[in-house]
Amino acid sequence: MKNRLKIFYKKDGGIVQLIDKEKMKEWSIELPLIFTEYIRYNQLNSYNDPKLKKEIEKYLDEVLTDVAIPGLIEVLDGDNVEEVNKALVRIEELAKKNIEMVKPIKPYVEKLVKKNNKEVQKLSNSIINKFKKAERKKELAEKRKIMQEKEKLFLAGNLSGEEYAQARKEYLVLKE
Amino acid sequence: MSSKTESKIWDLKAAKKLFQEYLKKSIEEKKKEVKLPENTVKINNLNKQQTLERIYKLTDSLIDMIYENGRPSIKLPSRSSTNIIWDEENDLLLLGQQIMEKQFHSLGSVADMTRLMKVLEKVNELLIKDMHATKREIFYSSVQLFGDQKNSDKCIEDVATMLYTTRNSTHIVASAKGSCIGRLRIRDRNDIIDLEGLGSGGWTISPMLDNIEILESDAEFILVLEKDAAMIRLSEARFWRKYPCIILTAKGAADIATRMFLRRISKELQLPVFTLVDSDPYGHYIHSVYLRGSKRLSYESPFLATPDIKLLGVLTRDLEKYKIPNDCTIPMNQTDIKRTKEMLNEDFVKKNKAWETDLKLALKLKVKAEIQALSTFGFEFLTDQYIPEKLSTGDWI
Repeated sequence: MKNRLKIFYKKDGGIVQLIDKEKMKEWSIELPLIFTEYIRYNQLNSYNDPKLKKEIEKYLDEVLTDVAIPGLIEVLDGDNVEEVNKALVRIEELAKKNIEMVKPIKPYVEKLVKKNNKEVQKLSNSIINKFKKAERKKELAEKRKIMQEKEKLFLAGNLSGEEYAQARKEYLVLKE
Repeated sequence: MSSKTESKIWDLKAAKKLFQEYLKKSIEEKKKEVKLPENTVKINNLNKQQTLERIYKLTDSLIDMIYENGRPSIKLPSRSSTNIIWDEENDLLLLGQQIMEKQFHSLGSVADMTRLMKVLEKVNELLIKDMHATKREIFYSSVQLFGDQKNSDKCIEDVATMLYTTRNSTHIVASAKGSCIGRLRIRDRNDIIDLEGLGSGGWTISPMLDNIEILESDAEFILVLEKDAAMIRLSEARFWRKYPCIILTAKGAADIATRMFLRRISKELQLPVFTLVDSDPYGHYIHSVYLRGSKRLSYESPFLATPDIKLLGVLTRDLEKYKIPNDCTIPMNQTDIKRTKEMLNEDFVKKNKAWETDLKLALKLKVKAEIQALSTFGFEFLTDQYIPEKLSTGDWI
């Protein structure tokens, strides 16, 4: 019997076993992507071993490039509109949960916006908008952090009123 | 003994050594498929399509018999006790090659045959629709015909045997009973389930195991508990966080889904398995069912049994070693003594000297004890001393 699990060794003699990527080829198309992100965000930090973490991250990247993305691209690039729609619905659901999870397929969704099918266009636009919103949110969070630093500097008298006003203006423009 | 136990972290040396041995073995020779002896019935675990093909083949042969002589019959392996064989090499209870014949030659056989065909029809429907049903649902699909659930249950087992497959392959499943918790992540169709993050109750073991797949685990051993009370104790102590393991219980007698799930995880993850049962003949029997299967379902043993399980406790010798007070043990009654003697007569016990010695000691002392008797030393004794100490010293059978 072919081993269905890949073994990674811990420094302390323990192991981490992960399902073999070949098995994932039998899964529904969105699942390998969910799996990689799940392990990355929920399990990786619990292993407490930098070398092991690196090895597992490398394996997850392999899963992404060898199984998850090709699976989705194959469907998105295909002519079967029904399948494309189904895939887009799943991608949209994933994007709602965690936009980072579907980031690798953004270029392929962007191509679909031009496709001559209303439903495909609608779903792809909805996903692209989610990307835009997420990017804006990220940018705003970074600016907010900078603004807080500048506020501290201003209150401590280490930043001129003019410089503070300029930073505040930039922040408010982005916020709107 | 003091009622206060220290919460130290034990080095589970003996369990780790066993884990490393299993790991080495799995890498060196990949787990060998079980080769059954010639004089036993071979059963296959089938997928949906394969099971449907067997149903069609069987019904085709019945139709041919009707056309040929109007006297159809079905041949299937006998499940009587005289046809149960202990396969010493694989440590499994199996069905021998005695064949019985269900004939449709008289009015007396009408009810029996109709019930059997009804179950076959339901199995066909479930497979085509890719659905699962419980034994109870099968009974309710035709209450008047079956009369009693015993009749439909018997037909369900007959159908699996005459198709030479497991009951799970027929999509007729038992109700969920067991639960599992610990260092394991699985997939149930499109959902990822983290068995560490489901609260104290853990995950209810799904009887639809064909939908389940192991995704990730960093466990180093599996602990099987007889009782839910022990599960609660280990779950509250978050035992798997201190000692990387997977814990499961069937809450009493081992049901099919729990046994099948245990077999799956132990085989795929190649981990050592330990059982913790009451120190009484019933507890030892439960251990034996996990280990080598039950007589009733001996035809499915290769898919249900988990060979190599170690009996961690509670052993009769533990009662003395840990000085369990007399008022925490229970005198054996006549049934216990009879059952212990029956266990001692089993070939698989006779071949395991340490097990035989412990059962003989139980007969000599005429006492039994529940796992909970250990809480006489404090609620934490089980999780902070008893289990870790035994796993550390290799004190198991």
